[in-house]
Amino acid sequence: MGTMEIITRKDFRRLVEGLLGDYTLYGPVEKEGFPAFARIERFSQLRLSRTPTHLSAKEFLFPPRETLLRFDLKNGDVREVVDAQNQAIIGLHPCDIHAVNLLDRVFSYGTPDRNYLARRKRTVIIGTECTPDEYCFCSSLHTMTVDRGFDLFLHETERGFIVRTGTKRGRRLLERYTSATKAEKADLERLERMVERKEKMFRTRLDAEPSQLPLIYRGADSSPVWDRIGRVCYGCGSCNHVCPTCYCFDVKDDITLDLEDATRYRVWDGCTLEDFAKVAGGHNFRKARSARLRHRFNRKFRYLADRFKGLFCVGCGRCSRTCLVRINISEVTNEIIRETKER
Amino acid sequence: MKSYARQRNAEAASPYTPVPARVEEAVKLTDREMFFVLTMPAPIDHTPGQFLMVGLPGYGEAPISISSPRCGTRRVELCIREVGNLTRAIHRLGQGDILWVRGPFGRGFPVDEMERKDILFVAGGIGLVPMRSLIKTMLNKRRSFGRLTLLYGVKSPDEILFKEELKEWKRAGMDIRITVDRPHPGWDGNVGVVTTLIGPLRVDDSKTVAVLVGPPVMYKYVILSLGNKKLRGTEIYLSLERRMKCGLGKCGHCQINSAYACQEGPVFSLADIRHLNEAI
Repeated sequence: MGTMEIITRKDFRRLVEGLLGDYTLYGPVEKEGFPAFARIERFSQLRLSRTPTHLSAKEFLFPPRETLLRFDLKNGDVREVVDAQNQAIIGLHPCDIHAVNLLDRVFSYGTPDRNYLARRKRTVIIGTECTPDEYCFCSSLHTMTVDRGFDLFLHETERGFIVRTGTKRGRRLLERYTSATKAEKADLERLERMVERKEKMFRTRLDAEPSQLPLIYRGADSSPVWDRIGRVCYGCGSCNHVCPTCYCFDVKDDITLDLEDATRYRVWDGCTLEDFAKVAGGHNFRKARSARLRHRFNRKFRYLADRFKGLFCVGCGRCSRTCLVRINISEVTNEIIRETKER
Repeated sequence: MKSYARQRNAEAASPYTPVPARVEEAVKLTDREMFFVLTMPAPIDHTPGQFLMVGLPGYGEAPISISSPRCGTRRVELCIREVGNLTRAIHRLGQGDILWVRGPFGRGFPVDEMERKDILFVAGGIGLVPMRSLIKTMLNKRRSFGRLTLLYGVKSPDEILFKEELKEWKRAGMDIRITVDRPHPGWDGNVGVVTTLIGPLRVDDSKTVAVLVGPPVMYKYVILSLGNKKLRGTEIYLSLERRMKCGLGKCGHCQINSAYACQEGPVFSLADIRHLNEAI
């Protein structure tokens, strides 16, 4: 961990107001009784939430629709569009920050994706502490705590916040807007106790270690679970939509009515949607919903593990929380673990 | 289609930014396929089996295999089947028009490792298009390779691609056998699926490499037949078609288990993909 300091609630307000002046700020607000990430324009809108948001914050780094190119058809020219502004996201939980770290690896892998990376570079990330609900299972994936990927991380206490600093940029923000004082031994112990308490709160756990999951999934290609969940799945793509590490996209074109300008843009896509693996001519490499679900679960626990050195499930529980037919990622995984142990 | 005079913005460096390629020739090969000769803005150094992302503003992009041999010049040849909006628009292009392209992408055939071997090509339909790049590359160095045999299956005789070139290749010493599913009156060649050509073939399993390009259903049966000829998985190469949107290993569409067709493929050895369900 980086350095640790204490700030008061007043300091916190000054920090947020400072960010409001220098950055486009996003953070949790209350929307119809639930926490949701949104643009923050006044301090009073911000409602730091300990419970998870339905949607992740990936949209601020990887927008649902993003222009990549503009064609000038009259002059036969093309220009790339990279839209990145100074922005800050406050209120990301440890799982969300782990997810951002994974997206960073994806978009810098091989040929770097300038659109994502330019935006990421100009994004301040401030994490906050959370409390697990019945869907959360990050403690089983070792993503319950995080020590990199944020500029600042705030642990709320009775008096204010214990602040961990992850980057030089975070340090500058802290120095500029707050009068942080050095954390004392008692504060560090309090933080440790908070982590211990949080660990005990989880009602959902996986019955295997994360390092075992790629192999367990590898042995589960012909598990009956795929057909069973495939039969109830709507193929609606909600799980992809809310997942903080689902990054698949489609690339499409728009053309103006006068046929003088065209844009090429990307939009979120989802591997559980029917057309995802369909090629021109009509052949669909994953026609059955069971095959698409198997693909999605394997992408989270197995397919990407080697290439990006990590599992792509961070245990946030969003897919389970949002699924209309209650397909539950931890239950499915535990079922596969059980089948493996019985073999 | 308008013709595009200016080159792209020099600063452009996004991997999504295409370059304008000028259409030099556009020739109808069959009812559905057209052959295009393009001039790229810069020399292209591709390996047979690699592909370009080919697009038109307003219509989008699609992965298209390069059909010309390895050359290092600005000339590229593509053969494109009309299957959707984009390819329909491309079929309307003529000399002087511009196609916007990116690439080459992916991993092609290991041509150098195939030297001194007998090569058995098995093509189904439009699979001959990427294979043509490899065949012509090999014919340009004919003496470096052993026996060259092409087994080519098409649905009907009027779907046979590169008819004149097939004759040339024959003259260059290639053994070419064609079969059709549905013969026309007057067709006096083989009838039946392409596997029927494999049975009677003499294959020296100690020095033969098989190259397969065709629809998914073809692979399954051809691989079984080649197994009967004792060919090992490391000596069988195939090119896998997948939906692709970026060519950069990002968009996720071409993923086959842990492999990306646009990164580790589209050319794979059978040994590399045999264990991946969904591959074939």
